[in-house]
Amino acid sequence: MTNNTEFKVGLFIIITALLILASIGYVAYKKDVFSKTYVYTLSSTTGENITEGTPVVFWGFNIGQVSSMELTDSGVLVQIKIPERNNRVIRAGSRFVLEKPLLSSSRIIVYTDNLNGLPLQESAVPELTVSDDINELIKRGQSIAEKLDMITNNIASITGDMSDPQGDVKRILKNADKVTALLAEKNSLGEMLMGNDESVRSIEEIIKIALDIAERTEEITGRLEALTQEAGEQLYGGEGILTLVREILDELTVKLAKVEITLDNLNKTSAETVDATEDLSLLREDVDETVSAIRNLVDDLDRMIPFKAESEIKLP
Amino acid sequence: MIKTIESIGRSSINIFVTLRATLLLAAGIILRLFSRRAYNSASRMVFINQFYFTSVQILPLFLFVAVIFGTMVNGMAFQVIKNLGLTDYLGRLLMGFVVTEIAPFVTVLLIALRSGSAINAEIAVMKVNRELNTLKIFNIDVIDYLFVPRVMTGMLSMVLLSSLFSMTVLVTGIFISSAIFGTSVDDYTGILLKSASLPDIVIVLIKCATFGFFITLIPIIRGLNASEEELTSIPVAVLNGMVRVFIAIVIIEVLSSIIRFI
Amino acid sequence: MDLERELQRFISEHKDRIGLVSMDAPLISNLSIWSNIALIRQYHQNMPLNEAKNIALELLSRMEMEGVLGKRNSALDPEERFCIMLLRAAMVRDAILVLDRPFSILINQRDGAFVMDALKKIDDLIAETYIFDYSWAESCYEANNDQ
Repeated sequence: MTNNTEFKVGLFIIITALLILASIGYVAYKKDVFSKTYVYTLSSTTGENITEGTPVVFWGFNIGQVSSMELTDSGVLVQIKIPERNNRVIRAGSRFVLEKPLLSSSRIIVYTDNLNGLPLQESAVPELTVSDDINELIKRGQSIAEKLDMITNNIASITGDMSDPQGDVKRILKNADKVTALLAEKNSLGEMLMGNDESVRSIEEIIKIALDIAERTEEITGRLEALTQEAGEQLYGGEGILTLVREILDELTVKLAKVEITLDNLNKTSAETVDATEDLSLLREDVDETVSAIRNLVDDLDRMIPFKAESEIKLP
Repeated sequence: MIKTIESIGRSSINIFVTLRATLLLAAGIILRLFSRRAYNSASRMVFINQFYFTSVQILPLFLFVAVIFGTMVNGMAFQVIKNLGLTDYLGRLLMGFVVTEIAPFVTVLLIALRSGSAINAEIAVMKVNRELNTLKIFNIDVIDYLFVPRVMTGMLSMVLLSSLFSMTVLVTGIFISSAIFGTSVDDYTGILLKSASLPDIVIVLIKCATFGFFITLIPIIRGLNASEEELTSIPVAVLNGMVRVFIAIVIIEVLSSIIRFI
Repeated sequence: MDLERELQRFISEHKDRIGLVSMDAPLISNLSIWSNIALIRQYHQNMPLNEAKNIALELLSRMEMEGVLGKRNSALDPEERFCIMLLRAAMVRDAILVLDRPFSILINQRDGAFVMDALKKIDDLIAETYIFDYSWAESCYEANNDQ
């Protein structure tokens, strides 16, 4: 009996202990406990929203985490630990941005344009910039809207210039008419050369006007070219303002939908479980503010976009 | 008035004396856990028998409970998560709630009910029958021979069974998440790994060992408080012991939560 | 009371070698008979389980009591209980055997013959034997006391 009991007890302890050790070992292996880790120091102006364990993300993948933070005279030094297998994405040109999403915890996003660049030295202290998700998006949208406004005004001024009776184009046209009329008045250049003083003054005037026309045409052509290449590109090109505006609108629409769904769920949860807590009401206020900000921006952009249809550039 | 003050004073002194005795015994047992003398052939035999009754004999029932519980909890939790659109929190729910809270709690209840009460009654019977006196006469240290193996069994059983419970519930979760979310095994493992934290696992293991220590120590102490040659003191000792075990479980649960979330 | 005081004094004097047979030192009820006997050597000499069990078996066979091997205390009759207590006491190294009022255990015995017979069977294991009993019970031992 005892030997049998001893065997059963021994077997149970061995199997269960092995299972536990294997599980812990697997988790430790997957968490890179056994692999070499690189520690980089980032400088930040604030330690807000950063805690030990804040994930470091590259292309949506967790590649490391914040291991410690230190307050210095010039700001906060944030140490991040990156396991060896993920270290190849940390290059000398990498940018580190602290993202503060509205509805989840903060994370440090790594942007590396050139993955083949020189590796980042552990002694280097790159800056950790702060991105504020929706607010950042709104800011970006607003700056583009301002730019768009400027370009709209430029185009309006150019097109206005073209239709203005005192404008360059009209003057060119007028001068051109004048030249044509003068040329029609005198039958030929030879006849003019052999004409009277009036004829000579007329020729001088024609030359002057021709030069003026050439100069102004050149200037206007340049401006029109600039308008079509730069403004047109900026307006309608692959990376044009309107395309960006559209992207931002799409992005905002998605964010808005998410915010609304989450808000609904939060309302449902709070109604089912407990009365709205202080945290929940704060969150709701944030969400409401964000929704309102997004709607304002959408309205602004909606007002700007119709210009495309109205402000057509009519060349003379 | 004076009598009331006397009564308060008496109660306070009793509480102090009991607490002091408990802490001294606990300290004595902890010290003996590291003493070679406590690992003699007789103590080993007690450990093996106690462990067999506490962990091995209960295993089929325990695994059955774990599977049923895992299916039920996973099914309900996954459905709620899906309805709320909080699928990102699946891993946190499994690792942070099932593994660190539910598994130790169910295990400690099962062991306390089954073995804690048995230890309490056993020690009380030995006290009533003066068998503890026999051990003393033959120079057998009760801490080495009776208490250390039982406390060790409690601690080891809690750690092993709680881990087994967690593993069973997590494995059950594979099938449930596959049925509800259509998640593959790789995705499911990835979600769990993302939420798994080694410090949390260590805290849970320490918590389990602490549970195991107290759900055996308290019944031992209450059993020792039974009166010699008074059979009626046995059920009283068991009753008191089990109430105190329950209080200890709640206190440890609260303390561990505070430690985890600080 | 004098007897008990005397007994306590004697036990404290020979604490390390005492092998007591007494109603005040009952068999452990949750251990089998052989475990009760083997326990002393397992604990004090860290003797492996099987070895201690074999010694217990050999001693039980001396007493012609192999049948009680797996039984518990409550299943024994007074004579069996006395013999097991005696064997357990004999397991102490260089045992000073103390029989405390043996007739309180052997409630069916009228004289010391049974006690003496049992003692003879484990004579080689015991260094000294002392019987503590009331003076009026002295006559019970006289006929058989050849020690």
